[in-house]
Amino acid sequence: MQRITLELPENLLHIFFPILQKGIRVPAMVGCSLKSLLCEQFAIPADYVTGRITTIFFNNSPVDDLDQTIVQDDSRITLSAAMPGLVGATMRRGGYYAALRGGISHIVDHGGAEAEYGTVRLKLFNLLLAELGPLVLARGLILEHDELIDLLKNLPGHSGDLSASSGKVFLAVRFSY
Amino acid sequence: MDKIARIDMGAAGGPKVTVGDLGEYAGLGGRAMTSLVVAAEVHPQAHPLGAENKLVIAPGMLSGTTGSMTGRLSVGCKSPLTGTIKESNAGGQAAQVLARLGYAAVILEGKPEGDDLYKIVINKDGIQVVVDNSLKLLDNYPLVAKLRQEYGDKVAYMTIGSAGERKLLSASIACTDPELRPTRHCGRGGVGAVMGAKMVKAIIIDDAGMKMRPPKNPDAYRDANRKFVEGLRKHPVTGEGLPAYGTNVLTNVLNEAGGYPTNNFKTGQFEGGSKISGEAQAELEIKRGGSATHGCHRGCVIQCSGIFNDKDGNYVTKQPEYETVWSHGGHCGISNLDTIAKLDYIDDNIGVDTIEMGVTIGVAMDAGLAEFGDDAAAIRLMEEVEKGTPLGRVLGCGAAITGKVFGLERVPVVKDQALPAYDPRAVQGIGVTYATSTQGADHTMGYAIATNILKVGGDVDPLKPEGQVELSRNLQIATAAIDSTGMCLFIAFAILDQPETFQALLDMLGSFHGITMTGDDVVALGKKVLSAERDFNARAGFTKHHDRLPRFFHNEAIAPHNLTFMVKDEELDELFNW
Repeated sequence: MQRITLELPENLLHIFFPILQKGIRVPAMVGCSLKSLLCEQFAIPADYVTGRITTIFFNNSPVDDLDQTIVQDDSRITLSAAMPGLVGATMRRGGYYAALRGGISHIVDHGGAEAEYGTVRLKLFNLLLAELGPLVLARGLILEHDELIDLLKNLPGHSGDLSASSGKVFLAVRFSY
Repeated sequence: MDKIARIDMGAAGGPKVTVGDLGEYAGLGGRAMTSLVVAAEVHPQAHPLGAENKLVIAPGMLSGTTGSMTGRLSVGCKSPLTGTIKESNAGGQAAQVLARLGYAAVILEGKPEGDDLYKIVINKDGIQVVVDNSLKLLDNYPLVAKLRQEYGDKVAYMTIGSAGERKLLSASIACTDPELRPTRHCGRGGVGAVMGAKMVKAIIIDDAGMKMRPPKNPDAYRDANRKFVEGLRKHPVTGEGLPAYGTNVLTNVLNEAGGYPTNNFKTGQFEGGSKISGEAQAELEIKRGGSATHGCHRGCVIQCSGIFNDKDGNYVTKQPEYETVWSHGGHCGISNLDTIAKLDYIDDNIGVDTIEMGVTIGVAMDAGLAEFGDDAAAIRLMEEVEKGTPLGRVLGCGAAITGKVFGLERVPVVKDQALPAYDPRAVQGIGVTYATSTQGADHTMGYAIATNILKVGGDVDPLKPEGQVELSRNLQIATAAIDSTGMCLFIAFAILDQPETFQALLDMLGSFHGITMTGDDVVALGKKVLSAERDFNARAGFTKHHDRLPRFFHNEAIAPHNLTFMVKDEELDELFNW
């Protein structure tokens, strides 16, 4: 797999917002709890996870218990800050109105799974785009060559030409402040 | 606010204005005022477009003061869309200005003979009702532009577009925002058709010479308002999320949850969701020189609205709300923000409810009038409404009628009002509110997410599925109360999480009116309003059998969760047992 590292000024972070919303594939050690993935592997501070990432979806289901949600290979994880309105409150992790969406809530996973290398599909929404985007992008993502070309076309002064012609690419992006 | 104006549009010899004291309605505001007046004074069997119906316009309890977020205006009547009682509220400047003039309510009664069209001018000298046939069939933007030439820029305008004049059942009443754009609408339930039936085209409200309403205890009121504002500003939703992205920040989240009704409620996820998300919308607005942060009335600190410009930087419309982006977007398979903005402009201009119209266009698409995702067809169908063609009149009367005319089974309405942007199969609790609301399917009827603070109905275990009916009941009570204060419902998040902010709200109400207000008082007010509404509906012929979702929600499972609506009828019937 081709590995590319980009060094970009912070004001170009927004170019990555569309793919962060649609979801990016990131390497991870799976078989762990969702809390472990976020706090240990992604190195997101625990108080930030508790206080800021108030809405989390796991395979399209709102999550209430991070410790009892076991990440598998190809799991889809979506992170959001607090949302407005009744349904925003309803989706909130462990929130007062969780019963209103009881039918789609993630059912806790009992027992663990074997740790192994894999990937997860990660999405970031709203306030977390700017706050977690740099951290996630610096850690790296895996994308198809064509997706990378489309992304690079949005960079000022970049034609999108790359030496590799196909296959998957590992991209890491570091922002200078 | 110590007086009520009654304008009998059908009086012999021409409209007659009577101004009286508050009487039995003393102390009421907003939805409490509109619903209690309608329940007491409108015959429940009245034709909504007839002389017996009344259109009640009421500012909130704190409107016209220096308090923040106090500018919601309630409009109530018997709804021509649903046949139930109706309260529809909006931001804009009208509530603040009307309250400063001292009116707790302006009530339009009767119905004039003949074709003359009227405008009503309200100022410190009184109320004049004037024939002005030059306004006929003007839509809201050109109408306000014409009125501004005569009445200037320091007034508030309430107007109806051509849809209201044509008495279309989705017609709204527009209230101008601080820039005098007719962008804030009392949208739901066809209240604009009732104003049109009374032949009132515009209400011009001029508070020149009037002062802010003085609190009974100014120091305490100022202190409470300061704490209230601090609470709103420090909360991540009201202080960060809503100002940055507006209500459309919900698109991504609902889509991810599989609760985003797509292609007329056929599936719960929209492939083009991220293209029309609040995040994408805000970025586009800023890039084009518009704004993603704007208040709909002076005194708003949340600033959840915005300005949507075209690619050349010219104003198109205000920032479309989440419900609008959904109804004209995902519901119709459309993923182009420019198309949605254009449709939002048409809605505001002709004066129709964006939820009802967007859902109707999706129903029409499902019935074969156009393909899902066909932007040009959606605009063409809206132009039919704009022109008042026979097809346009059908569409303008909403989803229920359109579904019947074109023989469609999947019509997402309750009591003939279109469902908003949350699929009740994914979020079953909101389906309870849709089904049992006194006013047809309406997400804002159970929106005040502060029931735990209010202790409405005591504590409910949030993780018990059987708590859904109880939660919905409590939400509807709390919402009826907050709607009566005239406060923006978006304050509810800060109230939910920050008890001191809720206390600040109570202190604002108490110090302004010179009373001590508790959570129990708020709950009692909410129950009183809901009971009156429910009683009116019962007398109008509504029974528990009307408190149901359409059968397709029970029969068609929705992806990705493969769920149907599972709350039992018997549980729904328990909602109003308190």
